[in-house]
Order: sequence, then structure tokens, then C-alpha cells
Amino acid sequence: MSDAVTAVPEVATSSDVASRTLTADAWRTLHRRPDTIVAAVILAFFLFVVAFPGLFTSADPQLCMISQSKIRPQGFGATHPFGTDAFGCDVLAQLAYGARPSLLLALVVVGVSLLIGVVLGLLAGYYLGWVDAVISRSIEVFLVIPLLLAALLLLSLFRNVSVGSGTFNDILLPATVLTMFGWMGYARYIRASVLEARGLDYVTAAKVLGASDVRVMFRHVLPNAIAPVTALVPTSIAGIIGAEAVLAFLGIGVRPPAISWGIMISNGAEWVTGGYPHLLLFPLGCLIATVLSLVVLGDALRDALDPRLR
Amino acid sequence: MGRYIARRCLQAVLTLFLVVFALHLLTTLAIQLNGNPALAFFGDRVPSATQLAAVEQRYGLADPCFDQPGNPCLGPFVDRVVAYAQGDFGTNLRGRDVTDIVVAAAPNTLRLFCIVTITWLVVGMTLGSVAARWRGKAVDHSVRLTSVLIDAFPVFVLLVVYRYVFSVPLSNWAEDRFGQGSLPALWFRPSFDDAHPWATVLVPGVLLGLAGSAAFVRLVRASQLECYSGEHVRTARAKGLPEHHVITHHVVRNSSVPVVTAVGLTFADALGGAVITEGLMNIYGMGGVLWQAVRASDVSLVVGVVTILSIVTVVVMIVVDIAYAALDPRIRYE
Repeated sequence: MSDAVTAVPEVATSSDVASRTLTADAWRTLHRRPDTIVAAVILAFFLFVVAFPGLFTSADPQLCMISQSKIRPQGFGATHPFGTDAFGCDVLAQLAYGARPSLLLALVVVGVSLLIGVVLGLLAGYYLGWVDAVISRSIEVFLVIPLLLAALLLLSLFRNVSVGSGTFNDILLPATVLTMFGWMGYARYIRASVLEARGLDYVTAAKVLGASDVRVMFRHVLPNAIAPVTALVPTSIAGIIGAEAVLAFLGIGVRPPAISWGIMISNGAEWVTGGYPHLLLFPLGCLIATVLSLVVLGDALRDALDPRLR
Repeated sequence: MGRYIARRCLQAVLTLFLVVFALHLLTTLAIQLNGNPALAFFGDRVPSATQLAAVEQRYGLADPCFDQPGNPCLGPFVDRVVAYAQGDFGTNLRGRDVTDIVVAAAPNTLRLFCIVTITWLVVGMTLGSVAARWRGKAVDHSVRLTSVLIDAFPVFVLLVVYRYVFSVPLSNWAEDRFGQGSLPALWFRPSFDDAHPWATVLVPGVLLGLAGSAAFVRLVRASQLECYSGEHVRTARAKGLPEHHVITHHVVRNSSVPVVTAVGLTFADALGGAVITEGLMNIYGMGGVLWQAVRASDVSLVVGVVTILSIVTVVVMIVVDIAYAALDPRIRYE
């Protein structure tokens, strides 16, 4: 929040230049750290897998031959490079196609809740009065019910509602529920920084010059208010990926026959002591690699955007 | 102070009312879209109309508004609030009172939370203080690396790995080494044992605490760094106090207010973690009950437990707010 204050003199001349310098400053800090580069490369790889799973495997993840079940990893070049699971499904194919629901769910949830949070936070902090009262009260109400508990409750309530199949329909229910209980953090942060920014001279100046409310909010207030929230995004994506795994374990997240890393973990967990640890370790490894890169990225972003912690 | 507390409590009552209303709306919508949850009572069997009506009556589902999507069902809502006010949170599918179940399960959850809180404070205070003391040195960087690594292992992953990979070999080893029924053998048991609640909750509790401790490490570090650059610390050093005295009396003590209140604020997150921990490790606590209820599709039990846990969260949040105002004289809400 202090960077919003220190940025005032430059912003007073032109908000564009200031937001660019903050971004440029953050970028300079980021690309000097090798860990961020590694994390970004890993993430880019998994996003590539999400986009084109067919490039990594020729097997069909849904085509399972029970006669070929529980083959141990054979190495690249063989029919089943990462082996097969208890039902004879190819592990590599499942990993590649299972990345899509896991990551897509997290991106959709965080994207939509960020949008809701930013809009509501802006409205509440900018207009105050009854708008703020209503929004703050609903933030408080939703905060009281922890995300995971809400997800358990709603997904078990809506368990029998059929939404059709296809990647987007598979994630529709969990995405809706997780978004419903995931926007409050952003709204609170944005509201707090808008409260700080709305009284500053450059905002008053813009109003005096006759800028409309919408223009003041999005061109002048938001660019300074968004910085602290940006650092939350990678960590929240990581959190949602973890939550998806939990829901899949309980059978109420992404539902079979769709595949996700969470489902693979919950199916594979039982086979570790039976002598097939690869059924757990492959999906778990992918999950941890993704989450770790996101957390590293979030950590670096927090540093780059919050000079007080250096 | 008295007025602040009174106002905060009134606010909390309003929040609680809204939470119950929100839960009611969602449940109603689910019933309207989903079909009758009374059918779940019969499993695969097809009930006769009178049987169905009897079950509907018993779970308060008889009102025709449950068949009209979009109807907020205010009548049943009033009934529900009245029942909640009398301490009646409904029954599970077998007819046992939710209140009974929760009362029986609560002690184990409290045990788990004790261990979690201690882990948070010990790990957070130790690593955070060390990192702040030697800021920018190798120690600081390795503490930061540790906290990033901790963040990267969600509670769920940590527990799945422990439960399915480490717990069995470890408990076998402990039984061989220390004998069956010995304390270390109990620690590593893969599931909860009612006869030894503390010993079997210990390791899951420590793991859950560890998973949440990264935030504490960062918080302690940040708040101590702020103290190190404070005027009172400079004064203390200037008048010649030994460094360890400065640290224990002027840095650690002053920086502990936000840390203590953070314990309360992370409560809601920890509840989610407790559900995962208790569910995976078969601990008979409130989270474990919820986990089993979700698996068994026992919707009325899920609604009851979530409502009770939300009420507990609201109460904890007020206590935290009041403690914050009481501990830090600089903070005054008017």
C-alpha cells in the first residue's frame, strides 16, 4: 500500500507512466531471479500440455484394457512410458489429458473471482455509503463460511444435478462453488486500497476536470489499487489446484469419467503400499511441480510489488 | 471499550443471521433443482407415497415451496431459525441429533487445534525471529526457501503422502524398535485410536500445523523487521542494553500482537484443513464427521455441521477483534 502513496507525484502528471514504471520495476526485479525463470518455464510447459495434450501421448486416456493393468513404467519409446493404472489406462495419457480440468478449473475460478472482487471492491471503496454497507456485509457473510466447507456443502447438495459432459461442463459445478466463496479476499484488498487512493490529489484533480466516475475508477484509482492483489493471484491458483484434489478425493469435484490430477491421486493412493508407487507419484509430482512454481512466482511477485519486505 | 464490544456483538448477530439465511437459500435452491433429499433416506428402494410423506414431515421438507424453483421458502426458514435458537440442528439420516454428534466429536477437534496452534507458534516464532535477526544473510534466505517449500505442499498432499507412503513403514519400524503399544508406535499409527486420542492426533496435527506455518513465518519476520527499525529499539540499544535483552523484551514482545491475533484469523482456513486431516486420518472430530457425511451423502448432517462450524467461526472472529483492541492500545474503533 505504501507504493501507492509513493507513486503519487508521478501519477499526478500521468497515470499511464506511473503504472508502467511500477510494472517495469517489478519486471526488472523478476527476471533477475533465476528461480522465477525456472518456475515460469515449468508453468509454460504445463500450459502447453493443457493446450495440446495430444502432442505428448498417442494413447487414448479413456481406452483402458483391463488385461494390461498395473504395468510398471517402461520408459520412453515403449507403449506405456509411465505404465498403466489398476484399470489398465495409460498413465501418461491420463496425466496429459488430466492437466486440463485441473488447471482450467483453477484459472477460471481465480479469473472470475478476481473480476468480481475488483468490481465489488471498487464500487464499495469508491461510492461508500449504502453500496459499501451492502458489499462489506456480504463479504463478511461469505468469509464466515470457509471455502472448503462451503464447497463440501454445496457440491454434496448439488451432487445429482446433471450438467452434461465436455471439459467445461465437467468443471462447471466445482468452478461455480469455488468462485462463489473465493472472491472476498480480492474485494477486501481492492476496497482497502481504493479507500486509500480515492482521497488523493490526482483523483480529485481528475474529478475536477470532469472525468466520469467510471473513468476515474478504472483509469486512475484501479491501476494503483491492483498491485497488492496481483501478488495474490499465483498463490490462489495454487490453492484452487489443491482444493480440486481434495474435492476429487471425496468424489464431488471433477467427476469420472473425466480425468483430473486429483482423481488420479485419489485412485493411485491405495496402490503405494501394494507395490505400485508410480500410480501416486506421477500425478502427485505434476501437482507439486505446478503448485511449487506458482508459489515461487507468487513469492517473487510479492517481493517485487511490496518494497517494504525487501 | 464496552461500547465497542457491544456494537461488535450486535454486528455479529446480524452476520450470523445472514449466514444462516444464505445457507438456507442455497439448500432450498439445491432441493428445488435436485429433487427430494428425502429419497436419499431410502437408498435404492422405491418408497410408497405415505413413507415418503412421513420422512418429508420428519425432516421439514413437506412444504410445497420446495417444489417451486426460485421460491425462497421463508416459512421453513422461520421454523429453522426457531429450531436453531433452541439448539436443535436436525438429525442425521439415522435419526441421531446433530448436536449430539458434534458434542461427541468436538474434543478431538480441540486436541487437533491445540497441536496445530502450538506448531504454528513454535515454527513461526523460531524461523521468523531467526530470519528477522539475520536479515539478508544466508539464514534469512534459507528460511524463506523453507517457507516457499512449505507453501508448495498443500495439507492434502502432505497427508496423502504421509498416510499412504510413510505411515505404515514408520509404524512397523516403531513397533519393532520400541515394542507394540509403545508411545512412538502409537504416534505413527495410520488411523485414529479412541483409547489414545493425544498420541494418535499428534502427527496429523503437526503436519497440519506445518502446512499452515509459512504464513506465520512471514508474518513474524515482517512484524519483527518493523520493530528492529523502530525508535524504541534504537533507544534500548543506545542505553546499552545487551542485544539478547533488546530482542526478547523490545522486539519479540512488541511484535507478537499481530501474531497472536493471526492465530484467530487463520482459524477459518484451519477449519478447512482440519476437515481434510480428520477425514484422511479417520480422526473422529467435527471435520471427520463432515468428511464421512459428504461421502455418505448425508445432506442434513452436512448442513447441520457446516452451520455449527460457521457459528463457531463468527464467535472466534469477535473474540479475535476484541482481543486485538484489548492487546494493542493504539487501536481504537469508534
